[in-house]
Amino acid sequence: MKASTSERIGDVLSYLFMLVIFAFFAWPLLWLLSLALRTRKEVFLGVSRFIPKAPTLDNFITILSSDKFAGYLWNALKLSSLSALGCLVVALPAAYAFSRFEFRGKGAWMMALLSVQMISPLVIMVPLYRYMASIGLTDSHFGATMVYIALAVPMVTWILKGTIDGIPATLDEAAMIDGCSRFGVFLRVILPLSTPGIASAFIISVIGGWSQFLVPFLLITKESLTPIGVGIFQYAGTQNDSSIQLLAAACLVSVVPAIIAFLALQRLILGALTAGAVKG
Amino acid sequence: MPPASAITALPNAAAPARARQKPRVAPWLLPLILVLGLFYLYPVFDVFRLALTRATLLGDEGGYTFATLAQTLSRPEIPGILGVTATFTLASVFSQQLLGLFIALVVVRGEKRRLFGTTIVRTTALIAWVVPGIAGGIIWKMLFNEAPFGGLNSLLRLMGASPVQWLSDPNLVMWSVVVSNVWRGTAFSMVVMYAALKAIDPVLYEAASVDGATARQRLFHVTLPQLRSAILVNMILITIQTLNTFDAIISLTGGGPGRSTEVLSLYTFNVVFRNYDLASGAVLSILMLIISLGLALIYAAFLPKGEER
Amino acid sequence: MTRTTPFRALICALAVSTALPAMAQNTITGDSVGPADAKQTLTFRMTTDGPRNNEPALAEGYGKLFNEFVARHPGWKIELQMMSGDIGQEQARMLEQSKSGNAPDCAAVDSFVLPLFKKAGVLSSFSPYFKKEEIDQLFPFIRDGVTGTDGKIYAWWWSTDLRVLYRNKAIIPDAPQTWDETKKAALASVDQGMEGILFNGSRYEGTTFDWLANFWGQGGKLVDDAGKPIFGEGEDRAKFVKAVNYYRDLVESGAAPKRVATIGNYDDFNAAAAAGTTALFVGGNWQMSQLKTTLEPEDLANWTFSPLPGPTKDQRSTGTGGWTVASFAKDPAKVEMCANLAREIYMGPANELQQQLPTRADLYDKYPVFSTPENKAFAEALKVGQARPGAPVYPEISNQIQIMMGKVLTGSQPTDAAVDEAFKASLDAFKRL
Repeated sequence: MKASTSERIGDVLSYLFMLVIFAFFAWPLLWLLSLALRTRKEVFLGVSRFIPKAPTLDNFITILSSDKFAGYLWNALKLSSLSALGCLVVALPAAYAFSRFEFRGKGAWMMALLSVQMISPLVIMVPLYRYMASIGLTDSHFGATMVYIALAVPMVTWILKGTIDGIPATLDEAAMIDGCSRFGVFLRVILPLSTPGIASAFIISVIGGWSQFLVPFLLITKESLTPIGVGIFQYAGTQNDSSIQLLAAACLVSVVPAIIAFLALQRLILGALTAGAVKG
Repeated sequence: MPPASAITALPNAAAPARARQKPRVAPWLLPLILVLGLFYLYPVFDVFRLALTRATLLGDEGGYTFATLAQTLSRPEIPGILGVTATFTLASVFSQQLLGLFIALVVVRGEKRRLFGTTIVRTTALIAWVVPGIAGGIIWKMLFNEAPFGGLNSLLRLMGASPVQWLSDPNLVMWSVVVSNVWRGTAFSMVVMYAALKAIDPVLYEAASVDGATARQRLFHVTLPQLRSAILVNMILITIQTLNTFDAIISLTGGGPGRSTEVLSLYTFNVVFRNYDLASGAVLSILMLIISLGLALIYAAFLPKGEER
Repeated sequence: MTRTTPFRALICALAVSTALPAMAQNTITGDSVGPADAKQTLTFRMTTDGPRNNEPALAEGYGKLFNEFVARHPGWKIELQMMSGDIGQEQARMLEQSKSGNAPDCAAVDSFVLPLFKKAGVLSSFSPYFKKEEIDQLFPFIRDGVTGTDGKIYAWWWSTDLRVLYRNKAIIPDAPQTWDETKKAALASVDQGMEGILFNGSRYEGTTFDWLANFWGQGGKLVDDAGKPIFGEGEDRAKFVKAVNYYRDLVESGAAPKRVATIGNYDDFNAAAAAGTTALFVGGNWQMSQLKTTLEPEDLANWTFSPLPGPTKDQRSTGTGGWTVASFAKDPAKVEMCANLAREIYMGPANELQQQLPTRADLYDKYPVFSTPENKAFAEALKVGQARPGAPVYPEISNQIQIMMGKVLTGSQPTDAAVDEAFKASLDAFKRL
């Protein structure tokens, strides 16, 4: 059959493409792994040796047995998931309003919202620090979470508005005819139907929060409150005390929770796929 | 649960009759306005104020003046830096968008055909995104290392090719930096594109196959038009991110050799954290805001207007 | 099901790790050292030169020093904070925090940003807490570095480092004394299949710092007494251009590979030495011990170092850096405790523990580790040591020199033009400060 031949050719091409992409993304990560498995002695060989002669798990053991490291991970998990949740709570109603309601200056509002994100966070950090210090929200997870939310919410609102735009407005009308309030429509129709968008927005803001450096760097000085993005520099060493092997191991371990979150949330996107199959 | 029956009952029905009474917008936007207003508005305002002072991190601000504005924008290196920024941003944004879209398309196809390895590919790209910036810098520096034993050059040597000056050739170094940035940033576009692809109504594809459309026709007449606004929004978002990116560059080249890879955000970083010149930094960040806003407005002009719902 | 495996693995790993035998008793794991109910708290922001060192033996050693310290000072506990890797950001953060009153009481400060902190007026003087005899023992450049315009000292500089020329004796038997000899030796090594001489040449503080010895050796000055850049005028400019052309010529003649314009990390030299692709590089004194751990014994035997060459045999210099301890506290009791910490932990004991060069002549005799031939040679080279100028504009001068070096080493601009541009930009920055 002709169709199946072309499908097969497509499969071969897909595999080829995936292989190239995999190589592109994985090759540097393998180097990171190579560094993480080295002894202090071999780390100075740098790029001149790929497979360590005496591979060791010591670096991972050092990292995992440090009571600090678990704390850094926990703080990062707490900050990024709370802020991602907060972000959704704040952004979803706004995205719905931007998608469904007509009001004066809507386009301008949306651009203004986005422009908040366009100012270099580098520069904003100095006044932000002064402001947060004056209202006593430094060294506080609450303060940091709110700033994370403020940083991510414009982008998340835009992504969610795009998702809600894709849901036919006729569904709203139908539900309202059935006696739903606006909020009821939002809760019972829009939210369930936008799961893929919500999931991807959540992933994006969790990962954004996970890799925050400047905000926690400035706002948090207590080690027990420090998230991984800042804490990882504990392993960076100084020029006369090189510890790239530990840093590499720390980087690899720090990736794990974010990946787990991604794999778990991915099911939500996949779940939406099955919903699509039902409707088809 | 969503009334699934409602979806099948009303496929693409055109129902222009909008809300009978005008809904109140304010309550929906209130949380957003509150969070931004309480935690972010003042610092944003302060950046504009600082641009009109001589503030440094070391001392007082002095009086208000337009001198900083004029002096900063007339520095001799600014045109070169804007040029470098334009190359870096354009190359990164287009590569990330294209690559992200391709990966999403292939992954979706792979899932449909139950091909092996789609999750692996996606997860690998994602790890590259999550890995702390400092790690990305260390690895790419090793790969681009021009020593005889450097990561890529030793591969080239094995294949009998001559070594490449990845980072020391001022004309080539920008492309090396773009590659490392694409490596790191593509996963974002991939996630957005993937979700957008998933949201396309399968009915459209069924209709297309009924009409006997080829795979290419399906791509150009169904998929891409449906993705149009998602692509544009994604482009706006990654443009903003790319303009603000500097950690990959700082650890790979530091902006060198010379100023060959010193983008605006890295320059701002140097001004604030090496010169401690807060006022000039504020001027530069407003310049960045204007560039981002301009680009966003251009993209937005291509957004589908007056939703065809 | 498979999805949960990695998570379970992580949990297991964490569980195993906590079940590991308790660390040696001196290791400090919590946020603070000392009794939890101590009345007074000293916050100390540190680098890895402290109880958080990545080498367990050193962490243990520091732990012991800190525990003994708090035992000697009842009523006090020390709250530890870690510093991040980027010095520029770290110092900016401390400046901001000191303005809002949130700076640590006591902190490690890189010697080259000390002038900025002195100028910003955020440091408290240590003068009341150090005896004149102690201060007089400091090497002159160290003493100048910590002294403010009012003659008081504002920090305690406890460790220093310097740059030397490393070489592989099997390929380059004699130590090059002059620039010419260096070029000849490097070219000779290229004939034997080496890359040539390596040095930092990218956008990196080390690029400026390592190279400056060539300028200083001729008696050149970057700034005048008022801290104004003068390196682009008159005689200083001639010396400056000459030193830049020395590096430029090394690359253009093939005595140094083009990739020096991308090197911004001392570890790269260790890698090249281990891979056997270079026989000559400009490195830091701390690299000797790194080479010892990296190279096979038979290779290590070939490696040695000598003072950095100058234009002539007698025009030599070397850059010296290092770390200080300084106090941001307003409370005199805390300032004094910070001074005690600098004296009792860092001045001497920490030098011995980490084998970092002390800043006082008498300490070289006090600790046997510094009487090895190597450390004696380093101490000897320190005599021509020069610290970076104590001017607030220095970070920008350094930035401009790095930019200039990139343009010169890649041949994208003539030396004179690049130097003039760097000078003008430095002057502009000086006027803004």
